[in-house]
Amino acid sequence: MSARDEILESIRARQLARTPKPTVYRAPPTESDPVEAFAKTLSAQYADVRLLDNMADVPAAIADILRGRNMAPMVHIAPDSELASLDLPNVEIRREPPGQFDAAVTLAPFAIAETGTLAYPSGKGAPASWHFRPVLEIAILRASSVVAELEDVLAALQNGLPSTLNLVSGPSRTGDIEQTMEVGAHGPKALAVLVVRS
Amino acid sequence: MNVDPKAFVANARAALADPQLRPALGRLKTHFGAGRAFAVHRYGDFESLRAAGKAIRDYAVTHLDELLVTFEQSVNARGGTVHWARDAAEARRLILAILQDVGAKTVTKGKSMVTEEIRLNPFLEANGIEPVETDLGEYIIQLRDEPPSHIIAPAFHLSKEQVAETFFAAHKDLDPARSLQERNALVQEARAVLRRRFEAADAGITGANFLSAKEGAAIIVTNEGNGDLTRLLPKTHIVVTGIEKVVADMNDVAVLLRLLPRSATGQAISTYVSVMAGPRGPGETDGPENFHVVLVDNGRSRLIGTEAQDVLRCIRCSACINHCPIYGAIGGHAYGATYMGPIGAALNPGTMGVANAAHHANASTFCGRCAEVCPVMIPLPRIMRHWRAVEYGQGLAPKAITRGLALWAFAAKRPALYRLGASIAARVLKMLGRGGSVRVVPIRNGWFAVRDFPVPQGTTFQQQWRARK
Ligand code: SF4
Repeated sequence: MSARDEILESIRARQLARTPKPTVYRAPPTESDPVEAFAKTLSAQYADVRLLDNMADVPAAIADILRGRNMAPMVHIAPDSELASLDLPNVEIRREPPGQFDAAVTLAPFAIAETGTLAYPSGKGAPASWHFRPVLEIAILRASSVVAELEDVLAALQNGLPSTLNLVSGPSRTGDIEQTMEVGAHGPKALAVLVVRS
Repeated sequence: MNVDPKAFVANARAALADPQLRPALGRLKTHFGAGRAFAVHRYGDFESLRAAGKAIRDYAVTHLDELLVTFEQSVNARGGTVHWARDAAEARRLILAILQDVGAKTVTKGKSMVTEEIRLNPFLEANGIEPVETDLGEYIIQLRDEPPSHIIAPAFHLSKEQVAETFFAAHKDLDPARSLQERNALVQEARAVLRRRFEAADAGITGANFLSAKEGAAIIVTNEGNGDLTRLLPKTHIVVTGIEKVVADMNDVAVLLRLLPRSATGQAISTYVSVMAGPRGPGETDGPENFHVVLVDNGRSRLIGTEAQDVLRCIRCSACINHCPIYGAIGGHAYGATYMGPIGAALNPGTMGVANAAHHANASTFCGRCAEVCPVMIPLPRIMRHWRAVEYGQGLAPKAITRGLALWAFAAKRPALYRLGASIAARVLKMLGRGGSVRVVPIRNGWFAVRDFPVPQGTTFQQQWRARK
């Protein structure tokens, strides 16, 4: 017998009464406005969250974030990204994957109010590794893309799950040395989120 | 340190006498314990969430055959491959075959307790493949050639000074005069060294916190992002995990994701949650080209239908470990096994055999904290008691215990004899007692070597019972 059949047989030979599929769980509702809740929760997780009135304010905010971190005026934006046509005066745009000291600008199709989380389904123009390669990730998020909980993101994924779905709730960190949080492990040392209201 | 569960008693003695362990063990309460308590309090109705988590895991365990078959079909539909391993040796062989097939020489690894359980790293090394651990804690202990001392914080037992020593010894090409006094300097050094390894790896191996049957996805939670670089940069991604990790669908995963980080580190969510479903899709410019999942049984299916079945609900959060007074006194290495603390005590006798791991089930004060904090309501003390009964039933319990219990049973069935014995014992102990406790008990080398016996107060229970009637 193959290992597969033997394992399944071993389970079936012993399986007791099957319990029913549980009813759907509903998390306690998040208070207040979802965008505010998202911004508040993510800000508490070492992220720099800024609210902008419209897309026209994005270039100045990106330049400001780079200056604030003493970084060169240069960002990586994936080819085929919805942001590919973004015009950034005085900031150089590169198309290849960012290195470990570079900044990347990404578009978050969803965000979750409950946990202060950006949700990135992978796809054409949305390479998953870009959330982990750079030292700084600048995420652009439309306020209308903020949903209440992860279940809403799953329901909104039109074609089902992509090959990778990344949920990001702050910059990379580790508590592995003496159980004390240090920011900036393997992924970005900083996460900035520009929430655009319209 | 002896990596042998049978050496538990000697290992525990040595650990109790080790002053290096004290500061780490002190952090259980101040970091893990306090963090969990705060997160649970903030959530609000955590008990309903626990009940939901338990129901989801119970459904999964009692439908394990169906869910595994569905999972396999879903992975196939996405262009991945599922492999099945009856035991550790078979799992190692399967993983090696996948790696040899793609000509892999170096493999990055995300944190995976199942690959610890199957002793994968030494086997890969013996076969000419270099495994590189990338979770910071795992990387540190790999450099030191030690096993993990905690299931979610592998380097839990070490101080930052010990980590600095390890890095000075391992990273010979870096400036020997550099400062590694700050924790952050250590983190940055590991980031730089490991980034080169990520870029160069031929394959990546991760574990899975959950498998979602309907979508054919493996889900991992990390704070570092190492698991993602492990999956996304090399050409081949292999997920190695236990058969019991599967649940019905992503909505079930969403519920469990509310329980896991809160119970583990006190976070509402880990920095990264990654849902990994198959190789890269059409039009995608990154992600692995090959996707494999190795499902490991290794004694798990045998637990179905036994008194220990509930232990299969475990989501490996470590809350039971963090709240265990035994773990809090001796740390993780003394167990000589991959899973330590209450979860180890409930799982190991089942998967490793009672003859090997009975000590783990005996190492409990039955205070019940583990069951109180377990996010999926596993009755851990009840399962430990079950293993004790099995040990006793198989005649594996130490002679002193079986003979002592036989003697006690003989007397207990004869009330007159029992009364006489109890009142004599009470009087003798009172005579021996000094300052509230008895230090000279005849069986000093066993139970009483590390415990004082309180001096009996007043008359025996039976005498009092009769007086009140
Ligand atoms: S037994 Fe419960 S508390 Fe312990 S690791 Fe498993 S899920 Fe967590």
